[in-house]
Amino acid sequence: MITVGIDSGSTATKVAVVSGGKVLAAVKAGTGTDPALTASLCLDEALKRCGLSRKDVDSIVTTGYGRDLIPDRKKSVTEITCHARGAFQTVPGARTVVDIGGQDSKVIRLDATGLVLDFAMNDKCAAGTGRFLEVMAGRLGLDLGDFEREWKAAREASKISNTCTVFAESEVVSLISQGASRSSVVRGLCDAIASRIASLGRRIGIEPPVVLTGGVSLNGGVRRSLERILGTEVVVPPMSVFMGAYGAALIAANS
Amino acid sequence: MRWESFSPFLPLVLKSRLTYRVAKLGLRCFGRRMSSYQLAAAKGVMSELADAYSGRKPVIFTSAFVPTEIVYGLGAVPYLPEMWSGFAAAFGVSERGIDESEAKGYSQDLCSFHRCHLGLEKLGLLPRPSAIIVSSHLCDGGRRSLYAHSVSIGCPFYVIDVPYALTDSSVRWLSLQVERICEDISRRIPGLALDGMSRAIRNSNRAREVYLDVCRLRRNQPAPWSGSEALNYVFAFLSAWGSEWLIELYENLANVLKHRIEESTYPVPQERLRILWLNLKPYYKSPLFEYLERWGVSVAFEEYSYLYWPEMDERRWAEGIAIKMLSNFGWGPIQRRLDAIWNMVNDYAVDGVVQFDQWGCRQSNGGARVLADFLRRKGIPFLELDGDGVDPRNGSLAQALTRLQAFVEVMCARQ
Repeated sequence: MITVGIDSGSTATKVAVVSGGKVLAAVKAGTGTDPALTASLCLDEALKRCGLSRKDVDSIVTTGYGRDLIPDRKKSVTEITCHARGAFQTVPGARTVVDIGGQDSKVIRLDATGLVLDFAMNDKCAAGTGRFLEVMAGRLGLDLGDFEREWKAAREASKISNTCTVFAESEVVSLISQGASRSSVVRGLCDAIASRIASLGRRIGIEPPVVLTGGVSLNGGVRRSLERILGTEVVVPPMSVFMGAYGAALIAANS
Repeated sequence: MRWESFSPFLPLVLKSRLTYRVAKLGLRCFGRRMSSYQLAAAKGVMSELADAYSGRKPVIFTSAFVPTEIVYGLGAVPYLPEMWSGFAAAFGVSERGIDESEAKGYSQDLCSFHRCHLGLEKLGLLPRPSAIIVSSHLCDGGRRSLYAHSVSIGCPFYVIDVPYALTDSSVRWLSLQVERICEDISRRIPGLALDGMSRAIRNSNRAREVYLDVCRLRRNQPAPWSGSEALNYVFAFLSAWGSEWLIELYENLANVLKHRIEESTYPVPQERLRILWLNLKPYYKSPLFEYLERWGVSVAFEEYSYLYWPEMDERRWAEGIAIKMLSNFGWGPIQRRLDAIWNMVNDYAVDGVVQFDQWGCRQSNGGARVLADFLRRKGIPFLELDGDGVDPRNGSLAQALTRLQAFVEVMCARQ
């Protein structure tokens, strides 16, 4: 059985083609202004990579903010359920999933069977999201991929007081002008995001094993800060960026 | 039509008797398309608006939890500015009211219901009150924003100081205040008297009796009344006790619900889940409840529809009013609210509870953490949904829908 999960996120669209629980192909692209078209192009590309066509697809489940805009879906399911499903399949026994996407972040509590017990989402602003990091990386003249290296090089973390992206950006400028090192600012930024995620998670209780998914999961600096603040290992599974799409494809296989 | 094009005329339209004649005629012609209870409510509201804006009867502004029996008993028209912020949102003029109050210097931190009615006054859209009565329980912003109205309009302002606990001495202290305030108003405002108190209490008791039938009918599964509409009728629950039209409204509502149950015509026929809704809802156009219904979810009951006070003795009306105020489960130790919510969870057999966290509403949001822990211990899923009841600019529909849908998925997974 071939199933497809489409995660139409606010920043990126991810498509996973799955059979028997295994990912055959996964494609990611910027969502842009036409989520349906982007999803369609990603789907075609993913199917092409595994030598399949749309006729071979048994079921499609969509997720993400654009989930109801994608045609040909069997149903739409929220990112919360999809990330939980994907993460539990990938890391059996996972009890907490932290999904940090482009424009929001979520902490999801699972029971022993992988069912969602509770969840918390960030508030209305971009604080604690991938967008926050993108803006800061731009201001520091770094690529997001450089964050882990800078984090490791830092002797201490600068204190970033503001959670608002706009105010934090001016705080970063001010820290640099006061002579703070770039690495200490990077570590401060990672700590700021991790603190925010930790307080979000404490609302519902964080229990290990903790799995990190979403676009920001590839940012080693944030993962390290999270591990330090939560006091537990944070697992970043393979395909962590595609976890929503993967979970959606698994749900498609069961429905 | 854009607001700017008709806004200069709206105060005149509201004050013109012709408006209400036309509205009355409209109800006669098109009222058949409405349910009997909707018609009863529309007629009741229209008649009071006509009295209020034409100056035919004195108007008394009250904050949301002041028992309106005393206003009807005095022979005045009760007007709850906070409630009319909700109406303003429904008619698409709340943003203008909010902008107006912010331009006058009111902080964005203030509850938008209050910012809105403060702005509506500046726009000349509120009737002129002869007095304002507020209570000290529950909503602090309401008390202070209504005080601002009394200063700018220049009318007497009365505060009913509600003790924290329901005891014999607190009933005595509160009933004395209620009595003195009403006596003072009857002396100061021409046309008002205490003669009507017994009748208002009688009306309130009768409406209460019928309303208990409505509540019993609402326990039916599937739910016979749409929660979204029920949340609209919170206005009547807050503002019409003591009136005759509230009796008519609830009698007709009970009949309609009975009929729906007999005929199995339900708003959500394929009801999969039932939820309890706490606090208010967005009163501007929002598809939240349509989505819930599409997902097979009924809002079985709402916190603000919960009847919490005992029958009153019409001969000792002030004492009855005092007990009513002191019985409010939102006042006093938070355990009272938890107990009331737990009763609602059981009475209406709900699968989960949603609290709408109205921007700036400390009295409700302040206890949310305790409530969340309480319900989780009892195994009832609970969602706090951040939002704004009157300002559509202050929230993201996509975020709200994701939260709600995920909550529905959590409840479904538990079944």
